[in-house]
Amino acid sequence: MDILAGLWKGFVVATQFQNLIACFIGVFIGTLVGVLPGIGPVSAMALLLPVTLSSSPEAGIIMMSGIYYGSMYGGSTTSILVNIPGEAASVVTCIDGHEMAKQGRAGPALGMAALASFVAGTFSIVALMLVAPTMARVAVAFGPAEYFSLMVLGLTVLAFLTQGSIAKSMLMACFGVILGLIGIDQITAMPRLTFDRLELLDGVGLVPVVMGLFGVAEILANLERKLQREMVSAQIGSLMPTKEDWKASGWPMARGTVLGFLLGILPGGGAVIASFASYAMEKKLSKTPERFGHGAIEGVAGPEAANNAAAGGAFIPLLTLGIPPNVIMALLLGAFIIHGLQPGPLLMVQNPGIFWGIVASMYIGNIMLLILNMPLIGMWVQVLRVPYNLLFPLILMFCIVGVFSSGSAVFDVFVMTIFGVLGYLMRKFGYEPAPMVLAFVLGPLLENNLRKGLIMSQASGSAGFGIFVDPIRHPISLACLIVAALILLAPLLPSMAKKRQVIALDSE
Amino acid sequence: MWGGLFWLAIGAYVTWAGRDLGLGRLAEPGSGFAFFWIGLLMCALAVSVVVQAAIKGSESVASLWEETRWEKVLIVTVMLLVFGFLFDWLGFIVCALALLLILMFFIDPVEPKTALIVSIGSTFLVWAALTEALKIQLPAGILAGAPENMLRAIARGGINAVAAVFSFIFR
Repeated sequence: MDILAGLWKGFVVATQFQNLIACFIGVFIGTLVGVLPGIGPVSAMALLLPVTLSSSPEAGIIMMSGIYYGSMYGGSTTSILVNIPGEAASVVTCIDGHEMAKQGRAGPALGMAALASFVAGTFSIVALMLVAPTMARVAVAFGPAEYFSLMVLGLTVLAFLTQGSIAKSMLMACFGVILGLIGIDQITAMPRLTFDRLELLDGVGLVPVVMGLFGVAEILANLERKLQREMVSAQIGSLMPTKEDWKASGWPMARGTVLGFLLGILPGGGAVIASFASYAMEKKLSKTPERFGHGAIEGVAGPEAANNAAAGGAFIPLLTLGIPPNVIMALLLGAFIIHGLQPGPLLMVQNPGIFWGIVASMYIGNIMLLILNMPLIGMWVQVLRVPYNLLFPLILMFCIVGVFSSGSAVFDVFVMTIFGVLGYLMRKFGYEPAPMVLAFVLGPLLENNLRKGLIMSQASGSAGFGIFVDPIRHPISLACLIVAALILLAPLLPSMAKKRQVIALDSE
Repeated sequence: MWGGLFWLAIGAYVTWAGRDLGLGRLAEPGSGFAFFWIGLLMCALAVSVVVQAAIKGSESVASLWEETRWEKVLIVTVMLLVFGFLFDWLGFIVCALALLLILMFFIDPVEPKTALIVSIGSTFLVWAALTEALKIQLPAGILAGAPENMLRAIARGGINAVAAVFSFIFR
C-alpha cells in the first residue's frame, strides 16, 4: 500500500508541466547522444549538470535520469544502421543488428530493439519500485565499515570488468581517489595537494574532469583517424517484427531483462557488461548458435533488453545506499549534491517527492522513448547523416561552455584540457578512465568512512582495521572485503584469467 | 613501460605528500593517512605494470602514433589552451567563433559556406541561450559595452518571439 501511495505521489510530481518537459528534454537528448557516435551519456550529463542548477531539483534529476536511459534506446539505431555503436552498451547490437540491416531487415531490428528496450525498461522500474524500499530499510543499519567495504567492492568489480590489465585499472582507481581528496580536509581543514592554488581549495571539479576524460579525449582520439561511416542505404520499411521474430525473441528478452537488472544493481556492473553477458548467454542456450553473427534477432532482443534493465537497476544502489555503481550514476549523484540532496536510505523518507517522482517519470519517459524511437525513427536516421567534421567542433564548443558555466572559472577550461590530453594518452597506453572517475566521486566518501571507522574502532574495542573485518558486528563489511579480495585474486587462476580476457576482447 | 614509470613517479609523489601532511595514529588518522597508503599502493601497482611490460615486452611509444593524424590532435590541444588564455580578454563570442572557424576550415575541413553559417549561427545561439535564457554569465571581452548590448537586444527579441509562438500554440 505504501508503494502505491508513493507511486501516486510520484505521478503527481512527474506530471507537473515543468517535470514533463524536463523528462522529454532528457529522453530526447539521451536518444540524440545515443544515436550520435562520439558523444555519450557521460559527456552529455556532465555538460548539462550546470543547467540543472536553474531548475527545481525534481526537474533537474528527472532530466538527467532521462538522458541515461534514453541513451540506451538511441545507441541501437547507430549500431544497426551504421555498424558503429552509438554508445558503449550497444556494441553487441552491431553484430546481429547490422547483419539484419544488410539483409534488408533494418525495420524489424530497429523495432525489436525499441520494443525490447521498452519491456525491459518498464520491468526494471517495477522492480526498482519493489526492491528499493526494502533495500533502504536494510541500509539504515549500515555504518562506516559497511559503506567503506561496499565502495571498495564496487571499485574492485569495476576494475575487474574493465578491459586490459587489472593492475592498470586499480592504478586508475587509486589515482581517482587521490584526485577526489584534493582540497581542504573536511576534518582538519588542512589544504591537501592544492599547490597554493585558490581554485583547488574546493577540490577538482567533477564536470571538467569528466568532460576532459570522456568528451575532449574522445574527440582527440577520433581526430587522429579518419572516421568512416557507411550507412545501410536500403529502405527501413515496417518496424514491426513478424510472428516468428516475436517467437524467437520472447525468452531472450525475458532472460536479458532479469540478467540486466541484477547486473545493474551490482556495484561496478552496468549496461555494457549486461549486454555482453546476455549475448553470450543467448548464444550458449540457442539450439542454432551458428545463426548468431548472421542476423539472429535474438542477438538484438536479449542485449537491448539487458542494457535497458541494467540502466534501471543501477538506480537502486544510488537511491538507497547513496553509492553510485557506475560513472553515470556518479554524475547523477553530483546532480543530487548540487541541489543539496543526499541520496541514501533516508531519501525516501525525507524527500519522497524526489524518489517517487524519478520512478514515475521513468514510466512516462519509457513511453516517450517508444514514440521517439518507433514512429520518429526517420528523424534519427537524418541525424546520423550529419558528418563528424561538422559535429566535433560543436561538441568541443559545448564542452567548453558546459565546463565554464559549471564554475564560471577559466581555470576549469584548463583542467578540462589537461584531463582531455590525459584521457587521450590513457587510451593510447591502455588505461581505462571509468574506474578513475568512479573513484574520484567515491574518494571523499571512502576516506571519510575509513577515518570514521578507524576512530570508532578504538571505542568498539576492535584493533584498527579489525572493525572492517569483524565477523560478528560487521558481517556485511567482512563479506564485501572477502569478495573484493577473491576478485583481485581470481586472475591468478588460469581459467578465470582466460574468461576475463574473453570479456575484455569482446568489449573492444 | 613508460606509462608504468609515469604512475610510479605520481605514486611516489603522493606517498611523500601524504607523509608530509601527517599520518596521525591508526585510531586517529591524520590528513595524509589516505594519501600515504594509497600512494604506496600506486607504487606497488605501477611496479607490477613495469615488470609485466619488461617481461612480455611492449610497443615502442613512437609506434602508437604511426599512421595517425597526430598533428591534428596537437593543434586542437594547443587551440584549447590558447582559448583558455584569451577567453577573459577576447570574450566568449570572439573566442568560440574563432575556434569553430579554425576547426572547420583547417583541421577537418567542411564546405566554406556551411562552416560560416554553422559557426556564426551556433556561437550566437549558444551565447543567447546561456546569457539570456539560462542567465549564465559569459565573458564579454572586447565586445563589452555597445556591441554586447546590441547582441543582447537581438537575442531578447528572438526569445520573446519564440515565447510568443509557444504561448499562441498552448493557448
